Amino acid sequence: MLAVLRWIRSDLRARAAQAVVTVLVVAGVVAALLLSATLLEGATNPWRGLFAQTHGAQIWLRLTPQADVAPLARISGVAAVAGPYATAAATLVQGPAQAPVQLRAMTPAMPSVGRPLVRQGAWLRASDSSGVVLEASFAQAVRAAPGTRLVIDGLDGNSVQVRVAGIADTSDQGFYPDQTPGLVWVLPGLLRRVEPIARHTEEAVGLRVADPGAAGLIVQQAVTELGASDVVSVRTWTQVEQSMARGDPLPGLLLALFGLVALGAAVIAIANATGARVLVQLEDLATLKMLGFSPAQVIGVVLAENAALGVAGTAAGLVTARLLAGPLLQGIPPSVVTALAPLPAGWVALIAGGTEFAVIVAAAVPGWRAGRVRPVIAIRHPPPSGHLSRLARAALLSRLPPAVVLGTRAAFLRRLPAALTVGGLAVSMAMITIGLGFAATVDDVQHHPADIGLAAALTVSPGQLSAAQALSIIASDRDVAADYPSVRADALLPGETTTITTLGMGDSARPYPFHVVQGRTYRAPGEAVASQGLLDALHLQVGELVRMAIGGVPVIFRIVGRIIEPEYGGQVLGYGIDTLSQAGAAVPPVSYSLVLRRGVTADAAAAHLLAASGGRLSVAEATDPASQLGAVRMMLAGLIVVLALIGLTSLFTASAVGLRDQLRDVGALRAMGLTPMQLTTALVTSTSVLALIAVGAGAAAGLSLSSRLINLAAQAYGIGAGIGRPPSTAAMVVAIAAAVAVSGLTATIPARRLARMPVAAALEP
Amino acid sequence: MIGQAVRRAAGRRIAPASGPDRGDSALLQTRGLTKVFRSDGTRGGGGRGAAVSAVRGVDLRVTLGEFVAVMGPSGSGKSTLLHLIGGLEPVTSGEIWLQGQRVDRLSQAAWAKLRRRHVGFVFQFFNLVSNMTVADNVELSALLSGATRRQAAQRREQLLAELGLTGKANAAPARLSGGEQQRVALARALANQPTLLLADEPTGNLDSSNTADVLRLLGRLNGRGQSILLVTHDARAASLADRVIHLFDGMVADDAPLLPQQPPKAAGSVVRLRG
Repeated sequence: MLAVLRWIRSDLRARAAQAVVTVLVVAGVVAALLLSATLLEGATNPWRGLFAQTHGAQIWLRLTPQADVAPLARISGVAAVAGPYATAAATLVQGPAQAPVQLRAMTPAMPSVGRPLVRQGAWLRASDSSGVVLEASFAQAVRAAPGTRLVIDGLDGNSVQVRVAGIADTSDQGFYPDQTPGLVWVLPGLLRRVEPIARHTEEAVGLRVADPGAAGLIVQQAVTELGASDVVSVRTWTQVEQSMARGDPLPGLLLALFGLVALGAAVIAIANATGARVLVQLEDLATLKMLGFSPAQVIGVVLAENAALGVAGTAAGLVTARLLAGPLLQGIPPSVVTALAPLPAGWVALIAGGTEFAVIVAAAVPGWRAGRVRPVIAIRHPPPSGHLSRLARAALLSRLPPAVVLGTRAAFLRRLPAALTVGGLAVSMAMITIGLGFAATVDDVQHHPADIGLAAALTVSPGQLSAAQALSIIASDRDVAADYPSVRADALLPGETTTITTLGMGDSARPYPFHVVQGRTYRAPGEAVASQGLLDALHLQVGELVRMAIGGVPVIFRIVGRIIEPEYGGQVLGYGIDTLSQAGAAVPPVSYSLVLRRGVTADAAAAHLLAASGGRLSVAEATDPASQLGAVRMMLAGLIVVLALIGLTSLFTASAVGLRDQLRDVGALRAMGLTPMQLTTALVTSTSVLALIAVGAGAAAGLSLSSRLINLAAQAYGIGAGIGRPPSTAAMVVAIAAAVAVSGLTATIPARRLARMPVAAALEP
Repeated sequence: MIGQAVRRAAGRRIAPASGPDRGDSALLQTRGLTKVFRSDGTRGGGGRGAAVSAVRGVDLRVTLGEFVAVMGPSGSGKSTLLHLIGGLEPVTSGEIWLQGQRVDRLSQAAWAKLRRRHVGFVFQFFNLVSNMTVADNVELSALLSGATRRQAAQRREQLLAELGLTGKANAAPARLSGGEQQRVALARALANQPTLLLADEPTGNLDSSNTADVLRLLGRLNGRGQSILLVTHDARAASLADRVIHLFDGMVADDAPLLPQQPPKAAGSVVRLRG
C-alpha cells in the first residue's frame, strides 16, 4: 500500500502539468453539470416550492363585484376557498416611471389558504394605514424595498401616497413582468381610497382543490355555478407553474446537454491521456513488476492515480459551482429565477459520484494493459512497424518534403491512439463551434430584436392625456419610426378552463411587424397569427380555425401564420384590432407600441416622450429576453474554456505518444542526414496532422448542427424555430487558427529539444 | 522461509512432482529448463511461426553462499536463463526449485510476492524508475514487502552509506553517473536482503574504474554470505566467482569451479585440472 502511494506521488510530481490540466478538466465538467442542474432545479420547481410554503390555491378566479361566492365552497373537490378579496386596477408611480398594478385587499390576519410569504419587512398592519406589501418579482423590477415611498393612482385619478411595508412571495401568479399587472397587497381601507367606486373593483377568489388534475373540471363547474357573465378571468396552477418556469429551462437544458457531452469528451480525453501515460511508462511499469508488484497492484496503481485526480477535480468543481452560483444569479433577471436554492444532496452525489466513476472507467483499459506488461524490461514495446505504405512511397517520390511525409506517417502508426485523439479533439471542436453559434444567436437577438419578435421597444399608453393628444406627441417625436395601436385582451379558450393572452396589434390594413416564419401575417379581419407554443397547446396548425371568447363575445380566427414570440409563455395570438370591433367584442384601452429608429435606445426615447408630455404619458419598456440569455453567454464562455482544456489534453497525449515512438528513430534519421530543422518539422507534423483533421471535422460537424440544435431548443421551449444563427466567420477562423497553433506549439518544444541533441547521444538506447 | 512464501502464494496447488536432491543445501536448482520463443509473439509450445529455443534443457545448481557466473557469446541464452530463474519469463518446460520448493509454474502474482523477499535483480542498463529519486527507488522495494516508512528509510540510509552514495539520496537517477546508478540499483536489489541476487551484465555499461568498484562490491557481498548468480561476458567479472558455467546456444557447455587464486609458490608448481 505504502509502495503504491509512493509511486503515485512521484508520478504525479513528474507529470504535474498534465495532472493539473486533468484536474481542471474534471472540475470544469463537474461545475458545469452542477450549475446547470441548479438552474434546472430552480427553473422547474419554483412554483412547487412556493405553493407548498404558501399553502396555495390552484385556481384563481376574478369575478365581478356582485358575484356570490358561497356556492363555490360547495363544489365537490374544493378543499378550501381563499377570499373573496376585493381587487382594483391602478397605476404605481415612482418618479417618472409608472407601472400597472393590481391592488388586492387583505386583512392583517394571514389567511390559511394562499398565504403570502413575507421575505422582507412585515405584513400589513392595522396601525399602518398607508403601508403596502409588494410581490417580490414586481418589487425587484421597480427597485422598491421596505420603506420606499410610492404613489398609487386609481383609474379615476385618485392619488394615494403609500410606503412599502414589506415584500412577499406568492404562488398565485407568475413573475412580473411576464405576468402583469404587478400584485400589491393593501388594507381594505386603502383600496377604497384608491378606488371608491365599487363597480370598478373586482373580486379575487382562490380555490384549493384536493386533486390538482381535476382543476379543469372544477373550473367548469365554478363557471357554471356562478354564471359566465360573472367570471372575468380564470387562472390555473399549470399556467402559473409554466409562467414561473418560463425562460429557465432553456439555459439550464442547454448547459446540461453541454455538460453531459463535455463529460463524454473528457472521458475520451482522459482515457487517451492515461493510455499514453501507460505507454510512455511501460519500462517503469515493467520495473515495478520486476520488483514485486503483482499485476493487480499495477492495475491498482493506474486506477488509483486516476481516481485521485478525479477526486481532486470533483472537489474543485463542487467548490467552483458553489462560488459561481451567486454571480450566476446576478446575471439572471429575477423574473426568470427568484432564488437559486442549493441542489438537493441526492443530485450533488449523483453528479459527483457519476463523474468520479467515469474518470475511473476512463482508466480501465489502460490499467488493464498496464497489468499485462511483462516484467522483462529489455523489449521496448515498439509501435507496429512495417514497410512504407504505397501512399508514403508515392509521396516521397513526388518530391514532397520528406520531413512532412515521415511526420504524417508517424501520426498514424498507432491506430487506436490516433483515432482517440482525433475523436476527442473533433468533439471538442464541434462543441466549441456550437457554443459560438449560440453566442452568435444571442448577439443577433440583442442587435436585431425584431427577428425574435420584439420590434417594438416601447409601449406607451395615454395615461392622463387623451388618445389624440398622445398620438400627436408620438407622431412629432423624431425617434419613433412607427407606432401601432395595440390592445391586450384575455380570451377564454373553448372548454373555458384557461385564458390566454391575445394581442390586437395594428389593424388588418397595417399589421404589426411580427416576425412570421411560416405562412403570412394577417391581412383581413378574422385572420390571426399564432406562436408555436399556442399551436402546440391547442393542437392547431397554420390554416385552421379557432374560436375563443373575448370579453364574453365569441370570435372566430383563422390562423394564417406562425410567429416567433418569446413572451407570454410562448402562447400568444396576434391579429388586427379591427377584428374585435367587427366581431362586436369590446375593445380594451388602447396603447401604442412604438418601433424606434435604428440606433436609438429605449431609455433615450422614453425620456423624450416623457419630457414632451410633461410626464403625463405613461411609457413602459418592453422586456428584453436577450437579458435572460446574457447569463447563458457567461456560462458558454466557461464551457468553451473547459472544452479547450479537453482538447489540450488530447494534444498533449498525441505529442507524448508520437515523440516516444519517434525517439527510437531520431538518432538513426539524423545519422542518415536529416537536419535538425527537418526532424523538428517531422515531429511537429505528426501532431499537427491529427489536429488539422480533427479540427476540420469538428468544425464541419459543429457548423451543420449548430443552427439545427438552436432551432430545436427554441421550438421545444415555445419560441418557435427560426432564430438559429451560424457562428460568425471571424470567430470560427480564430478558433481554428488557435487550435492548429496550439497543436503546433505543444509539439514544437519537446521536438526542438530532441532535434538539437548531439547525434551520438540520440543513438544511444 | 521460501517454502512458506511459495505455499502461501501458490495456495497449496503445487505439489513437488519430483523432489530436488536432498542432503545438500541447494538454494537454487533447475532441471531440464527450456524456453522457446516463437517469432509471431506467442510463447513456446504450439502455434505457427519459426521457433527459437533460447534455453535448451539447462540443469543448474547454486548452493547457499555460492557465487556462480554464467558466461557465453551473445545469443547463447544467458539473459533468458536469468529471466526464467527470476520468474520474469514463464518457463516452456522444465523445473525450477528454490529452497526445496518448486516455483516454475507459479502465477505472475505469486512470483511477484516471491521476488519481493527472495530475489534481487541488477541489470546492465540499471532500470531505475526515472521519475523517482534515488531514495524512493531504494525504499520502494522495502515498502513493497511491508516495511514501515521508518524501517524503509533506515534501511535505505544504511545501504546508501555502505555503497558510497550518502549525499545522493534526493538526486534524480538521470543526473548520476553510470557507476552511481548501478550502485543505486544494487542498493535497491539488496533492500530486502534477498536470498538470491541475480545480476545481468551489471558492468556491461560501465567504464573500467566503475567496473572495478561494482565488482569489488559484489565480492564483498559474497564474502558476507550473499548467494549471487552473475551473467557476464567479462572474464574479469567471472573471475570473482566460485564456479563458472558456460552456455552455448542455450545449452550448458561447461560447468567448472574456479580454483582460488594461489600465489605462485615456485617455478614448476603443477596446476591441477579438475574435470
